[in-house]
Amino acid sequence: MTVKSLHGVRVIDLSMGWAGPLAARHLVDMGAEVIKVESCERFDWWRGWEATEEWIALNAAEQSASFNTVNRNKLDVTLDLTSPDGNALLKRLVAIADVVVENYSSGVLPKLGLDYAALKAVNPQIVMLSMPAFGSSGPWSRYRAYGSTVEHASGLPHLNGEPDGPPTMVHVAYGDAVGGLNGAAALLTALRHRRRTGDGQYLDLSQSEGLFPLGIHGILHRSVTGHAPVRTGNRSATCAPHGVYPASGDDQWVVIQVLTEEQWGALAGVVAGLRLFGGIDDRLARRDELDGVLSAWTRTRAPREIMMQLQDVDVPAAAVYSAADVIDDPQLAARRFWQMLPRAYVGLQPNPVAPYRVGQEPMPIDAPAPTLGQHNRQVLVELLGLTDADLARLTQAGVIGDRPVMPRGDRTSA
Amino acid sequence: MVAPLAGIRVLDIGGTVATGYCGKLFADHGADVVDVEPLQGAATRRLAPFNDRARAPDNSALHTYLSSNKRSVSVDVRTREGRAVFLELARDADVVLDATVGDALLSLSDLAAVAPRIVFSRVTWFGQTGPYAQFAGTDSVCHALIGMVRGIGPTAGPPLLPSGYQAQIVGGLTAYIGTLGHVIAAELGNRTAACQLDTSICEANLCFTDVGVVAAFNTGAVAPRMGVNRFPPTFPLGIYPCRDGWIGVTALTPGQWAAFCALLDLNELANVPAYQTTLGRLADAAILEPIFKRKVAEQSATELFHRGQGMRIPLALVPTMEELFDVDQYVARDAFGTISHPAPGDLTAPMTPFKLYKTPAFAGGAAPRFAADTRARLADVGIDQSEFDRLRRANVVAGA
Repeated sequence: MTVKSLHGVRVIDLSMGWAGPLAARHLVDMGAEVIKVESCERFDWWRGWEATEEWIALNAAEQSASFNTVNRNKLDVTLDLTSPDGNALLKRLVAIADVVVENYSSGVLPKLGLDYAALKAVNPQIVMLSMPAFGSSGPWSRYRAYGSTVEHASGLPHLNGEPDGPPTMVHVAYGDAVGGLNGAAALLTALRHRRRTGDGQYLDLSQSEGLFPLGIHGILHRSVTGHAPVRTGNRSATCAPHGVYPASGDDQWVVIQVLTEEQWGALAGVVAGLRLFGGIDDRLARRDELDGVLSAWTRTRAPREIMMQLQDVDVPAAAVYSAADVIDDPQLAARRFWQMLPRAYVGLQPNPVAPYRVGQEPMPIDAPAPTLGQHNRQVLVELLGLTDADLARLTQAGVIGDRPVMPRGDRTSA
Repeated sequence: MVAPLAGIRVLDIGGTVATGYCGKLFADHGADVVDVEPLQGAATRRLAPFNDRARAPDNSALHTYLSSNKRSVSVDVRTREGRAVFLELARDADVVLDATVGDALLSLSDLAAVAPRIVFSRVTWFGQTGPYAQFAGTDSVCHALIGMVRGIGPTAGPPLLPSGYQAQIVGGLTAYIGTLGHVIAAELGNRTAACQLDTSICEANLCFTDVGVVAAFNTGAVAPRMGVNRFPPTFPLGIYPCRDGWIGVTALTPGQWAAFCALLDLNELANVPAYQTTLGRLADAAILEPIFKRKVAEQSATELFHRGQGMRIPLALVPTMEELFDVDQYVARDAFGTISHPAPGDLTAPMTPFKLYKTPAFAGGAAPRFAADTRARLADVGIDQSEFDRLRRANVVAGA
């Protein structure tokens, strides 16, 4: 059996929602041991942010696709960090860990006596990642945000959409997932430094700054011209045809983007009527007419049929998939991208494998997302050396448990 | 201070935005990164935006950004001699970044023969295997096939494509995670052989949509496209014009909804039972949105932003590209800096988006002129002046 790449690296994951857990997902996929810490009251809000007694009774906390998709392979313990016992146990875990990930609102961990200074006192070599929306310094450092807020504040929406339309978001929570990727990148960078020098450190990630590279085309346009680029919708200032065209069926579309004259020649060889158009200047000048001819052709064909036919002659084209189409996609199926794993309370579920692989086979997923407190015994007894009597006492005191209790106040991280 | 990635050597023969950004993250943290470019320059040199203050091949601002803190060497790896030169350069490399599918240009065994623990990191649109492996990819093709495009834009018309290089940047960032993880694996002793790491840009971008796909698998339902800036279940969510700019609004929890109503003097809406859930508010979006849009339009974006945040509502200024460099938060954090380049001069660009306090990334840095380092790097591997001149005349290498 091969040793996994990050075997021997231990991560304490205090993060909730999407960003932090996605960062930890990359580390766990590569073989780190990730111990996720929730509590019965402060359970991961990605399990649900509108908890009711009924919701708890229905075990809905275990049925969240959001939670289950981002937490596979992790161990889960519950520790009430506001209790002295829970607080002390967390410090014992940090003492034997390499990495701590957190994305609480600023102020939460200092109040619990668990900020970087406190954890560094327990483990001087610890690498700790915080990922506040706007970074941990500056006038906005205490401001609240979701992934949507972060996308807003990055300015990126000004680069998407129609010229006469509003700035346009591309996702409900773009900033979260990009923040998670930057978090994983930051953690590995710091781990490499620690490996060579023995030095741990604090990592400060601003999720809104994390989106700037995604808007690099607009930012650099501003840098070199002094002004903002004009939004172009689905069109391009330099290429035609270029856009989203109607396909047969209700709300069915196909992307076609001709970026070179070779691609144009290939497209014109497939679609009757396109030979009436000339070089790029002619096509740009007669764009409406060109799009009309191309749409008349696409409108009678299915999106996948168009994609296959045009890709066969090396023209960039893609069916505009729905979420349901993605699960049936032949490319992802051939690469065994969706790994089916049974999970308590929800049955057989698709799990997306890591987006990189060694050789041809995807990195295996060993276990689905944990249930709340599933690994209390494994972590507290086998790792920290507590006794069964200790577990019983902690359960009795409500420090640990395996069922949510009704939370007090807003439960999201913003 | 030792940079965190000091001692790691990376060669990039990919020349794409994705490999370029992956390599940039290595370079910004102290790795030795060399762009190994064909004689006509890397493909990213022909990508917008362009800088009028320089001439090709040094006029792409995008390439300047991607190549800061790197070296530029030009070798035609497709020639027999060029390939031999490249394998000499690879002898002490830890990573080779590549953007081709299949082994025609270079294979893992070629590299393993000269560098037994190398990571051959290949970053392509669809990965090395499967029926789409040779498909022509673009950022929009990727966004369409991961299910992201379908949710963007007006209900009636065609959905909207995200602009620029967003999918490739995400691919490059993801490849950095995987590649660095496998470099560390060798240093930890967990990996002893050379390996090929196959990153699919599409699979990397699926992190944005995977949850929706799993939900669709469970329910069979597909959320319809609901309009520009409307993403179920969250409501209110959007970007609205103010008197003097744009404000981004998100109110997810009952508490945030109540505070948002209070902020706009709309207390009569705060306690409506149906509006205590996001889906309840979404169902009445056509009624609610015009009401608060009118209120927002009367106000200053900056003032509303700070006042709203003071009430714990996740509001945001939505700065235009013209405003972005002067946003106080980004100024305070040095989020933007200067990349110098001998040909077009200085370029303002974002700095590496994560801060390591003990070992900060190189701020900005310098980008090389095309092929500026060919002669020196070839000399390092024993190719002397006369041999360099011969290779240059034979169109195997380029450089002054």
